[in-house]
Amino acid sequence: MLAPAVLYILLLVAGPFLLAIFYAFSDARIGNTQLHFVGLENFRSILQSPSFRIAVRNSFIFTIGSQIVVIIASSILAIALEQPFRGRGMLRFLMLLPWVAPIALGAIGWKWILDSIYSVISWVLVALHLYKPFGAPMWLGEPHLAIASVLLVHSWRLIPFSTVILLAGRTAIPKDIPEAAAVDGAGFWRTEFLILLPMMMPIISVAVLFGIIFTFTDMTVVYILTAGGPFDSTQVLPSLAFTLGIQGSDLAAGAAISLTLVPLLVIIAYLMLRVAHRAEVT
Amino acid sequence: MGRREKNHGLSRRDFIALTGRSALALGAASGPFFLFPERAAAQQKTLKILQWSHFVPAYDTWFDGTFCKEWGQKHDTNVTVDHINLVDLPAKAASEASARRGHDLVMLLSPPAAYEKQTIDMTHVYQEVEKRHGKKIDLAHKSTYNPKTKRYFAFSDSYVPDPGNWHKDWWAAAGFPNGPDTYEELRVGAKKIRDTTGHPCGLGLSQELDSSMAMRALLWSFGGAEQDEAGNVTINSRNTIEALKYMKALYQEAETPEVFTWTPPSNNQAMLAGRVSYVANAISITRQAEREHLPIESKIMVSRALRGPVRRIAAEHVMDCYVIWDFAENKDGAQQFLIDYIDAFHDGFAAGQFYNFPCFPHTVPDLKKEIANDPRATPPDKYNVLGDVLDWATNVGYPGYASAAIDEAFKGWVIPTTFAKVARGDETPENAAKAAEDEYKRIFARWK
Repeated sequence: MLAPAVLYILLLVAGPFLLAIFYAFSDARIGNTQLHFVGLENFRSILQSPSFRIAVRNSFIFTIGSQIVVIIASSILAIALEQPFRGRGMLRFLMLLPWVAPIALGAIGWKWILDSIYSVISWVLVALHLYKPFGAPMWLGEPHLAIASVLLVHSWRLIPFSTVILLAGRTAIPKDIPEAAAVDGAGFWRTEFLILLPMMMPIISVAVLFGIIFTFTDMTVVYILTAGGPFDSTQVLPSLAFTLGIQGSDLAAGAAISLTLVPLLVIIAYLMLRVAHRAEVT
Repeated sequence: MGRREKNHGLSRRDFIALTGRSALALGAASGPFFLFPERAAAQQKTLKILQWSHFVPAYDTWFDGTFCKEWGQKHDTNVTVDHINLVDLPAKAASEASARRGHDLVMLLSPPAAYEKQTIDMTHVYQEVEKRHGKKIDLAHKSTYNPKTKRYFAFSDSYVPDPGNWHKDWWAAAGFPNGPDTYEELRVGAKKIRDTTGHPCGLGLSQELDSSMAMRALLWSFGGAEQDEAGNVTINSRNTIEALKYMKALYQEAETPEVFTWTPPSNNQAMLAGRVSYVANAISITRQAEREHLPIESKIMVSRALRGPVRRIAAEHVMDCYVIWDFAENKDGAQQFLIDYIDAFHDGFAAGQFYNFPCFPHTVPDLKKEIANDPRATPPDKYNVLGDVLDWATNVGYPGYASAAIDEAFKGWVIPTTFAKVARGDETPENAAKAAEDEYKRIFARWK
């Protein structure tokens, strides 16, 4: 029964992972037919690259920033969607769309929304006379705006997933607990922050950890939206690995960059398992 | 018996017997392939080609529908052509090289020196074509030849000029009725246009092909270069610093941050939308305007590459480079295809509406005459300025060869990134030139 799962892990996880380790310590190039062991040379080389340092910084900015936005937004949405109201089913369905749609499709949509020539946002701002025709913000052209745009799209994509998890967590809390709190005179904020939030912490942790992994390892949003630009200012580790390793022909450097993700992802995986275990025990 | 007599037609038994005999007779007459069609297919060779979706769609129509079809019939070969977006070509080629499976013939748009060890030597193809059509241009030689190994890692059939495209009315109003001819005129005129009309200049500063070519043209025109003829890194020079200073001034006086978002179609989109005053691009912009009868067509003019303080020079907009993998299934067919393709190059030149210029000039002997009068264009002599393109077009890696290290630096977008950082004011020209030198040395060291 376990065979398909084991086969999957061996072929699609362990195999590429071992190959990446092999490449990272070799002089592998696209087109090379022979490989030589080069020790830590690839790691030394990428550490010298300014693009790598920017990519590390951005990976953390996008991951941490988007998770803050996602948890706040999804908590609000979960509270709202928990209440019965007309059209709640339809709203829940619509809210899920960004998650179920392919990431590439959503990112292309956002690329046009934020485009320098055809941006609908810029068009509205100009139409409202808030900006002159050629003075509207270049969402993907200014480093800070580009970083904010990438962060926004990551958040947009992850909010539905997080909301569903939090909603499931809230519905699992016995109704008599908030009711008892209300009888004791606790208001909305006190009930939410002092009673429900501590109870929700394990489930919030799950949402955050999944969100971290999805964001930290994703290159689609950056690749489609900015291709790492303007001038590497939105580059993240996966997109830099792709740019150098695949497009730039330097497989070894690409593999070395990819491997730098591993220690962090191992820590996150460990935390996820701990949280899951704790939730199981309680 | 009675029933048989009544039925004057065929009984089921008769029908089965008759069709069975017919099938056997037909099978015997046509050999074993009727009954075993896969054997027939096995007899026919296949040739799989991967190339970009051309910016002039009429070229693809001719290539797929006419040339490949006729060539396939003549050589009893099933030719399949897969067209993909030019942005995806490097990744697709990389995946094929790594998997050692894929197309027989792959066309890339910049010199693919990094693949030398996985491609066959194209010397034979060049020799055959030169026997028929005379010598190739130096641009093709330097883009596909490795002087160290003395091998041609690719075969170049054509290159695409990278002229200036400018808006006639705005430049005339700015005092340049013939458009900018020098980088200094570009700076003065583009600033004036932006100050008076708001329309910025559109010289790209992004991590993509067009910006990469435009910034190389600027670098070389100011006397800078990534390497010397011997392949030594020379990027950190006084000339490079001057080029960086120029770009900073041009950006601050005449451009907007949208040039940092540039993608390969951006030149076309911005020019056709009537947004920018000048871009460096192939003639696909005006061809699209002609094809779609856009009113702006008559306003967009084409000019030679700009002259800098040192010389007038530009990279080609794209360089067609065909490679044949050493693991290709039909290497002979692929080589013959290229040889025959050059025989028909003039048809491709016409079908592509002069987009691709020949690497074997004898295939289009009256090129200047043909482009001098094009009834599709307004005015008909719009493309006349491209007649002397070989005087100002050069290869990636100039003044040296397009080596594997140059290829990696090209695909890693070192040049446009360096110019962009200076233009934004995030780096001083001196520091940026030094940083670029470090990056080039790092890359060159990895390919030694």
